Amino acid sequence: MIELLQTLIQRPNFVVFVILFLWGIYIMAAHPNFVKKLIGLYIVQTSAIFFLVAFSAKEGATVPVIVEGAAAVEPLIYANPLPHVLTVTAIVVQVATLGVSLALVSAIYRKFGTLEEDEVMEQLR
Amino acid sequence: MSSNLPILLFLVPFFAGVSMPIVTAKRRALCSRIALGTAIVMVVLATLNLRVVMTQGPIEYALGGWTAPIGIAWLNDSIAAVVVLTVSVVTLLSLIYGRLVVTSDLEKNVPYYTLILVMVSGLVGIVFAADLFNVFVFLEVAALTGYALVGAGGGKALVYAFRYLLLGSFGATLYLLGLSHLYVATGTLNMADLAVRLPELMTSTAVAGGLIYMFLGLSIKMALIPLHSWLPDAYTNAPSAVTPFLASTVTKVALVAWIRIEYSLIAPNVEVSAVPVLVLLEELGVIAALIGGALALIQTDLRRMFAYGGISHIGLILIGVSLGNDTGFAGGMFYLVNDAIMQAALFMIIGTIIYYHKAYTLDDIRGLGHHTSPWLTGALIIVAMAMVGLPPTGGFFGKWNIVLGALEAEHYLAAFTVVASTLLTLGYFLKVFAAWFLQPQDVEIQSIEVSNSIRLSLGVVSFAMIALGFMSDFVVQFLLQSVSSGGI
Repeated sequence: MIELLQTLIQRPNFVVFVILFLWGIYIMAAHPNFVKKLIGLYIVQTSAIFFLVAFSAKEGATVPVIVEGAAAVEPLIYANPLPHVLTVTAIVVQVATLGVSLALVSAIYRKFGTLEEDEVMEQLR
Repeated sequence: MSSNLPILLFLVPFFAGVSMPIVTAKRRALCSRIALGTAIVMVVLATLNLRVVMTQGPIEYALGGWTAPIGIAWLNDSIAAVVVLTVSVVTLLSLIYGRLVVTSDLEKNVPYYTLILVMVSGLVGIVFAADLFNVFVFLEVAALTGYALVGAGGGKALVYAFRYLLLGSFGATLYLLGLSHLYVATGTLNMADLAVRLPELMTSTAVAGGLIYMFLGLSIKMALIPLHSWLPDAYTNAPSAVTPFLASTVTKVALVAWIRIEYSLIAPNVEVSAVPVLVLLEELGVIAALIGGALALIQTDLRRMFAYGGISHIGLILIGVSLGNDTGFAGGMFYLVNDAIMQAALFMIIGTIIYYHKAYTLDDIRGLGHHTSPWLTGALIIVAMAMVGLPPTGGFFGKWNIVLGALEAEHYLAAFTVVASTLLTLGYFLKVFAAWFLQPQDVEIQSIEVSNSIRLSLGVVSFAMIALGFMSDFVVQFLLQSVSSGGI
């Protein structure tokens, strides 16, 4: 038990990730409002991005650009670019998802006049 | 030229799709012609690509000249070639079929054609990509256009498209999470590179967790029971012009992505905390095949029935590829190709029935066989033979190889499941035919003539299902090349 607590305290980033992830799922599942469901989805997606950033963060690291003519390349002083590239791409994907989902939500609102899932389902029946 | 075929297969539909709204700004009538032309070009390119792979074996394509592991790799092997050809053919047929239905279903044609073409480019990307993150990006390209296509009909479909979006994006996020776990553990995203580094790391919880996340994410996309709930609703309410295309490609291509990951990363006999991974996947397939078939049997709405039928077939394919031997793998892959054609055929038939007869449920089609077009009845009989798995259709040889593989691996439950799901399929087709050929009681409905585009598309899919049966040995041997050439 104490070991578990220790590992948790040593990794605050990952604790935050887990909290965000579960919180997002809860909102997605529990809230009947479509926009709130979207917010939940957004939090889940953000938590994945947070995870990517959390493990790639490096204290005192610099931009991974190798200056031509530099004597030796020290891999330790550079930040790993790949997770950051993944992060940027994932954010773009997230924004695109948000665009499509907001379009769908606004179409639902225009059609059914409400954003509450239970009211919409009643109209569908 | 021949070495650039994979990227051409991606770029042609992508640019055609993206430039469609601009090119056709003045003349909207051009849309369908451009889309048809693009699909024809794709079929030609995919056939050429198949020839190249046949003669030269698998080719690794380095995007932008950057070779793996620094650059992003695409793998052009026999599986990719066959699946891309299938996707192109299905696209062409759905576009031909859609010409009639699209005008009545979707008011604005430009978004429909744009979305379909962009979606095809995403699907082609998923099939070719040999890089985990690249798969994620293309999954999202295909999925986002898929949500829009489901919702394009408006009305009820909007709500189900939104649900599909919530689940689908959640699945994609899980997949992203999984691949970042694997990246943390190994420091690479290239599948060939991962295959070298993973085996010794299989005891790590990060790797196991990553693989589980990726599988969960992809199984939402491929509608594996119990994560299938978006599919029946989405396909029941989507416009009939898009369902043949969606039903035959989306789930199958997500499954192809998983098969690539499974075969390059998970060695046979590998165990995580004493659980053999492949057997676990196989049991999930067993559950999906049986429950999917049983749920299809109790449906009365035809589209729901066949959507559940598709779900049960996903389970069958997963059984085949998870048996851990070549026979089962070839059977599963061959069945996947067949299933793509069968689902397209089924939803084309239902779309036609809805368009001409306004019939949605088993009660509505009562006695339809006596006055409808013989094209419809013929296609329905052939697709039923393929779904049940009667020779000489391709469905038989796929199931046959899966059963042989299961017996070879001595997994009798898997063999039993294939037979049982065949019986379930037979059960729901009996229900359809019982209604279809029932003597019409009262009202005399005049017989109809289906349009030429529907005749063409129904004829070609029916022919393809039988032709695949005759070519089965050849295709199976060709698909096995990917396995014998040292992992896909």
